[in-house]
Amino acid sequence: MELSRRNFIKFVAGGAAGTALSPLPWKLTDDIAIWTQNWPWVPDPSTGEFTNVNSVCNLCPGGCGISVRKVDTRAVKIDGRTDYPVNPGGICPLGMGGLQLLYNKTIRYPGPMRRIGPKGKGEFVMITWDEALDILAKRISNLRKKGMPEAVAAVDGNQRMSTMSVMVERLLTSVGSPNYVTTPSIDDTYLISNLLLQGTDGPMSYDLENADYVLSFGCGLLEGWGAPGRVMNAWGLWHDSAGKTRAKIVQVESRASNTASKADRWVASRPGTDAALALGLAHVIIKNGLYNSRFINNFSFGFENWTSADGKDHVGFKSMVLDKYSPDQVAKITGLNPEDIVSLAKDFARAKAPIAIYGKGKDDLDGGVYECMAVHILNALVGNINKPGGVLINDPLPLSRLPEIKQDAIFKQGLGKPRIDQAGSLQYPFAGSLINNLTNKIIKSPKSPVDTILIFSANPVYTLPDGGAFKEALEKIPFVISFSPFRDETSYMADLVLPDHTYLEKMVDVVWPTGLQYPFYGLSKPVVEPLYNTRNSGDVIIELSKRIDSTVQSAFPWENFEGVLKARAKGLFKAGGLVTYDNMNPAWERKKYGNGSKHNYTSFEEMWTKIKAGGLWYQPVHGFDGWEGLFKTPDRKFEFFSKRVQLAVDEYAGKTTYKTALKNMGITVTGDQVCMPHYEAVSSDVNMSAYPLRMMPYEMINLASGWIPSPPFLYKTIFDNQLKGDLSFAAVNPKTATEYGLKQGDRVIIKSPAGEVEAGLSLSDGAMPGIVYLPLGFGHTAYDEFLRGKGVNPNEIIDAEKDPLSGHSVWWNTHVNLVRI
Amino acid sequence: MTHPANSSKKTSKGGWIFLLSGFVLALIVGWVIFPMVLYSKQSQPMNFNHLLHLDPEKVYGIEGDTRAEQCLYCHAFYEDGTFAGIPKVEKCIECHDDPENPLGELPEEMEFLVKYVAEEKEIPWLVYSEQPDCVYFSHIAHVKMGKLDCQTCHGDHDKTEKLPVYQENRLTGYSILIWGKNIAGYKKNTWDRMKMDDCAECHTKKGHEENNACFVCHK
Repeated sequence: MELSRRNFIKFVAGGAAGTALSPLPWKLTDDIAIWTQNWPWVPDPSTGEFTNVNSVCNLCPGGCGISVRKVDTRAVKIDGRTDYPVNPGGICPLGMGGLQLLYNKTIRYPGPMRRIGPKGKGEFVMITWDEALDILAKRISNLRKKGMPEAVAAVDGNQRMSTMSVMVERLLTSVGSPNYVTTPSIDDTYLISNLLLQGTDGPMSYDLENADYVLSFGCGLLEGWGAPGRVMNAWGLWHDSAGKTRAKIVQVESRASNTASKADRWVASRPGTDAALALGLAHVIIKNGLYNSRFINNFSFGFENWTSADGKDHVGFKSMVLDKYSPDQVAKITGLNPEDIVSLAKDFARAKAPIAIYGKGKDDLDGGVYECMAVHILNALVGNINKPGGVLINDPLPLSRLPEIKQDAIFKQGLGKPRIDQAGSLQYPFAGSLINNLTNKIIKSPKSPVDTILIFSANPVYTLPDGGAFKEALEKIPFVISFSPFRDETSYMADLVLPDHTYLEKMVDVVWPTGLQYPFYGLSKPVVEPLYNTRNSGDVIIELSKRIDSTVQSAFPWENFEGVLKARAKGLFKAGGLVTYDNMNPAWERKKYGNGSKHNYTSFEEMWTKIKAGGLWYQPVHGFDGWEGLFKTPDRKFEFFSKRVQLAVDEYAGKTTYKTALKNMGITVTGDQVCMPHYEAVSSDVNMSAYPLRMMPYEMINLASGWIPSPPFLYKTIFDNQLKGDLSFAAVNPKTATEYGLKQGDRVIIKSPAGEVEAGLSLSDGAMPGIVYLPLGFGHTAYDEFLRGKGVNPNEIIDAEKDPLSGHSVWWNTHVNLVRI
Repeated sequence: MTHPANSSKKTSKGGWIFLLSGFVLALIVGWVIFPMVLYSKQSQPMNFNHLLHLDPEKVYGIEGDTRAEQCLYCHAFYEDGTFAGIPKVEKCIECHDDPENPLGELPEEMEFLVKYVAEEKEIPWLVYSEQPDCVYFSHIAHVKMGKLDCQTCHGDHDKTEKLPVYQENRLTGYSILIWGKNIAGYKKNTWDRMKMDDCAECHTKKGHEENNACFVCHK
């Protein structure tokens, strides 16, 4: 009975037999299989009630309706709303990935922060809201006491006319500072162009859905231009499911973008020559008598040669284009065939509802004013203004004006000073805001003229095409405050961060998406309770005003930000409009004088409750009631010759000389051409032999390139010829590569006068020879491991010139060289 | 020197005892000790008396035409048809709305009012029938369309006065009721086990074999 080796084996054998006859092995096998499904890193969805909350996306000026699916209190999915006029059911990749902006805690600020490390390092310590607001209020109030209110500046990235932008501007005005600066947007270009040609101050309204010929000058229709949800939907309407083309799309762009590749015709003209091409088309249209003579003869000014009151003869638009923009002349500028220009012009003019639209990629940045005007002139020539499928003229959104601000001595003294960015000055009479001028002034002055800068909904350090100049300016500004909810590049430079909620946690209005043809007001509202100790910047401004002094406080008599939203929305109630929408009857088919004029509320409160529940107020497309009394220019006509430009140039010339005035405004032509849309070659004093190539940044629908960061999900959709590992890839034509002895996959340094970046080379026939195309949206230096250090940001090497007349940045024409490493 | 044959004979006699003791010990471990070790025992945060709450004299409106309707009084469907599962405190306070004034005299109710209603906190119930995340299960399809009684899967839970002790599988984290209380997996009643084969068995019996396709539940 001893435990010999043999007995031990028997014991084990018995044990094995017994185990096999017990449930242990079978049960364990099953359990282990289940155990492997429940490792701690396997996502564990929450359980609870499923609900859907309707809101409006606020990540771009597109104003798409979104429906957020929630399980219990957690948001789990964002979809486009089918019961929404802007984006019937559609949504872009950024909108879909929005939950990561909310829940990715590594990119967010958990509460107010004070900087403890050096600027740019992102080292902060959390403080209370009380402390943060006191520090800021004291700073502003001291500047007011010292009689220097103009040393407070603000950079605002909120949508033009939105209540947040009105609040920020109001804060600056009530403090007594004229230095309210906005980040660039194509809306600025549209506004100036509309003002000069039409005298109107409403937004650009393109009736895309009803057009049958879309001539797009650089608009990234499939890259996120305008209101992406709406444009994608329109694209679907242009090509119906049966494959029948209802509208022809022509894309004018130097690169084979998605839009160019999928358009019916791709016109690859040289970048920056859009104005020449548009005027070349005008030449053919006029020469062949294809223009709308009723419109031209009765409702336009400056088409034919004319004589002014002082007896001077002036050249008309017709003579100018016939003289200077023949297909042969334009072919030389644009690099196109003269025959193509002729056929394009004839196709355009003979279409039933042709529309020429202007933009630059996503339209996150501004464009050229003369260019935009030249393109819009095409719509005028064919008389497609205020007609279905044309450009509509709308009044601005009928929002109520906020009460006048009480003026004290400091207020008058501060606002009496000129703007640091010179917008609205004699040199830049039409610009509302010129952030690049502000930057340069700060860099060039021995002491920054700005003491305290407030930055709202913007990440200018990353998004401005200025070769890193804004960052340099922030280094010099003594006190920088960021209101960003995200740990972005600009907030890293801040002394104080007062984080806003993200768009899924707050109520804010979304006004008139870029390019939409009918008045629209949406309300983005909280989908979840705020996750962190953040506050709606609108509420913060009200609270801040109370702490500055009683004068500033008196400009903000509201209890909270919703009070301001409501105060402005009263105007919508007076104007009437619809607050519900059924998708069986698309908005672009509704006419004001038809079926859609009845609204379904009786009191303001009822309207507001309905907007809050569904987030929408809109008016049907207007009644296309002719051209009578439409234009508000000095001549009450569509001005081919802009009298406003003439007045502005004359006024400036009166203070200096005519030559200097034009030179300072960046205009190279003289005489009557100055006041008409014309082509201006981008001037540059860069040594062309040192920088023989040009770099153009380009945008993608599946990557955010504005102040909102990309959700990491989006990086999964990037192709290897855009980003591979941590290397950005630049697209270059094989011909250009051969000239420089480069091949596919080579690593190169892209060098410009403003700096250099490293990239891989991707050869593509879709790239125009001589141009290096770099994707925008990469190269973050802040945020977290998913965004930081991935590729390069083209903005870092952009050496921007100034657009003539407007002073905006010409961001798409940087001279560069390629050096292999 | 011992003869090899003798030696083997000698050990083989006692050897059977080793074989048997190994066998018996393994059976004891497998059938008795293993289940004891595998499952932890936890009590619910507080007791809930189902029987009491199903008394129409005590709960106004609880009487239904069927037993399922009675259950649905609290374990309701949401508007979109998804199942609410265990009710939230929000449902309880439809009756127990005043933390100061209990409706009955039981100490559990007082505990509930003080700890959860007054504090506005949810009760962290341990769920007996929680299925793995990889399984999609629709209550409304089974109860409304399939006309199954709640008992078919959940047994006579509605007739209990005390909540049973919650036994959690230490490896998988799921309740003992999924595999079934019988470690060998034997079952007498339909509600004794809630494994995939049990779903399939019922589908087949009711003539819905098409619902045994993988993707019906594993979306």
